[in-house]
Amino acid sequence: MARSGSFFSLRGLMIYGGAGLFLLVSAFPFFWMISTSFKPLREIFVFPPYFFPKEVTLASFEKLFGQTNFIYYFRNSVYVSSSATLLTMLVASGGAYSLTRFRFMGREKIASLILFTYMFAPIMIIIPFYILIRKIGLANTHLSLILANTAFCLPFSLWLLRTFFQSIPPVLEEAALMDGANRFRAVLHVILPLALPGIIATAIFTFILAWNDYIFARILITSDKLKTLPVGVSDLHNAAVIDWGMIMSAGMLITVPVLIFFIFIQRYLIAGWGAGAIK
Amino acid sequence: MFGNPSPNTCLFIFLGEISLRKHEQTQGFLLITPSLILIFGLTIYPIVYGVWLSFFQKHSFFPGQKFLGLGNYIYLIHDPEFWISLWLGTVYALSTTLFQIIVGVIGALLLNETFRGRNFVRGAILFPYMIPTVVAIILWQWLLNDEYGLINSILLSLNIIHRPIIWLGKDNIMLSLVLISVWEFFPFVLVSVLARLQTIPPSLYDAAKVDGASAWNRFFHVTLPQIKNVLFVVILLRSIWMFTKFDTVWLLAQMGGAGRYIRTLPVYTYMRTFTYYEAGMGSALAIIMFLILVGSTAIYFKMFRREEEL
Repeated sequence: MARSGSFFSLRGLMIYGGAGLFLLVSAFPFFWMISTSFKPLREIFVFPPYFFPKEVTLASFEKLFGQTNFIYYFRNSVYVSSSATLLTMLVASGGAYSLTRFRFMGREKIASLILFTYMFAPIMIIIPFYILIRKIGLANTHLSLILANTAFCLPFSLWLLRTFFQSIPPVLEEAALMDGANRFRAVLHVILPLALPGIIATAIFTFILAWNDYIFARILITSDKLKTLPVGVSDLHNAAVIDWGMIMSAGMLITVPVLIFFIFIQRYLIAGWGAGAIK
Repeated sequence: MFGNPSPNTCLFIFLGEISLRKHEQTQGFLLITPSLILIFGLTIYPIVYGVWLSFFQKHSFFPGQKFLGLGNYIYLIHDPEFWISLWLGTVYALSTTLFQIIVGVIGALLLNETFRGRNFVRGAILFPYMIPTVVAIILWQWLLNDEYGLINSILLSLNIIHRPIIWLGKDNIMLSLVLISVWEFFPFVLVSVLARLQTIPPSLYDAAKVDGASAWNRFFHVTLPQIKNVLFVVILLRSIWMFTKFDTVWLLAQMGGAGRYIRTLPVYTYMRTFTYYEAGMGSALAIIMFLILVGSTAIYFKMFRREEEL
C-alpha cells in the first residue's frame, strides 16, 4: 500500500492522473450515449453540444419501441444467445471434464485440435457454412444462428472450462470415489460446487459473445422480424435520416444486459484471463 | 466425510484397476464425443468444404457450379482490388496491434500500482471490449460527426483546429478506424499483461531498487523479461484477430461514403460473396487469408521463439 505514495506526491499525481485518463477514455463514450438518448431532438443538434440534457425526455425510447421492430430484435437476441449458451455449456462441460480427468487415446490430439479451431475467424467459416445451411434448408431460421454461434463459442468454452477444471485438485474426487461414491455422485457433490463459479463465468462469456455477434446474424437472417439486436440496430442506423437520439437509446439498451452480466463475472475475469483462455 | 480408505478398499481398487481403466477410456470418450461431433460438423467440415468451393465458380444463392481448378486464385492474382485490400488489411492489422500493445502495456503498468478506486477502474476499462461492436461504431460515429460531434466541438473550442475535421471522409477514415479499433480492443492486451504483472514477485523489484536501478531500467531489466512470454502470445493473437476483423471495419465502412478506403481483405471477401454473389471467389479469398496467417505465424515463431525452448 505504501509503495505508491500519497495523492499529493508527484508519483501519486501521475498515477491518479493516468488512471483518470484511462477511465475517461473508456467510460466517457458510454456516458455520452446515455446523455444523448435522454435529450429532446432540438438539444441533440446543438453545436457546441451540452454535456447533460437540459430537459430529460423519453421521446427517443418511445419512438424506438413504437416505430421500429426493436422489441422483436430484443426477444430474438435473448432467445438465440440463451439457446447457444445452453447448448454450448451442456456439451462443453462434459467435454472439458473428460479432457482433464480421463485418460484415453488421442486426448492430447483432441485438445490441440480444439485450440486450432479456436483460431478460425468467423469470416473464414461463414461462407461454406452459409452454403451448407442453405442446402439443408435452414437459412433464415434461428436454429441456423444458434448453431453458428455454438460453433464459434464451443472451442473457446472448452478451453476456458478446461483451465477451471485443471485448477481443482483431482485428489478430491479420488477420495470420494474411494469412499464408494460413483463417478456421477463424486462430480455432483464434490466437483460441481467447486467448479460452479468457473462454469457460470464461462456461460456468461459465451452469452456475451453470442449477444454481440454481428456477422452470423447479418448473413444467416434475412427477415426483419427474425433479426437480432446488432443487425437490427445497424439497419436502423442505415436509414436515410439518422435519428441519433433513437440510435443512442437502442445502443444503451443493447449494452445494459452485457453490463449487468459483466459486473457479476468481473471477479473471475482476471483469474481466467491469466490462464490465457479469454477470447 | 472421506476417511482413510480401509485395507479392503485398497485391495478392491487394486483388483479392479484393469477393468476400471477400460471403463475409464469409454466414459472419457463418451463425454467428449458431443463436443467432437459439433466441432467436426460445424467447423472442420465447413472449412474443408470451403477449400473445395474455392475451386469452383459458384453463385451464392442459386444451385449449380462449374469446376475452375485454380481459376479463382489466378483471377485474384491479377485483380488490383485484391492487392489493395491486402495492403489496407495489413496496414490496419499492424498499426492497430502496435497501438493496442503500447496503450495496453502502459495501462497495465499503471493499474498494477495501488491507488484508491483501483478495482473500479480495472472494471471500467474493460467496457469498450465488452460492448457489441455495433454500439462502439454508432457511439464513435456520433462523437466524430463532423457537424454536431463532440470531438470536433472540443478541438474547436480549445483552438486546436479552426475548421471541423471530416473524420469519416476519405482522407481520415483509416485514421478514425484505427483509433476506434485501438479503443475497442486495447483492454484485451491490458488485462492479459496485468494478470501476468500480478504474479511477478515484489522481491525482484526490491533487489533492483537496492542496486539503484532507475524506473526505466527496472522496466527493461525486470518487468520486460517477465512479461515477454505473455506479450509474445498477445501480439500473435491480436494481429491474427485484427487481420481477420470483419464487423468493426464493415460497420464503419457502411456508414459513410468513404468505405472504399477501408476495404480490408475480410471486407473484400464478404463483398465478393454477398454483394457480387461469387461464393467460389469468396472462398478462395478466405483460403488465401488463412494461408497468409499460417505463413506469417510460422515466420513469427522462427523470428522470436528461437532462443527459448518453448
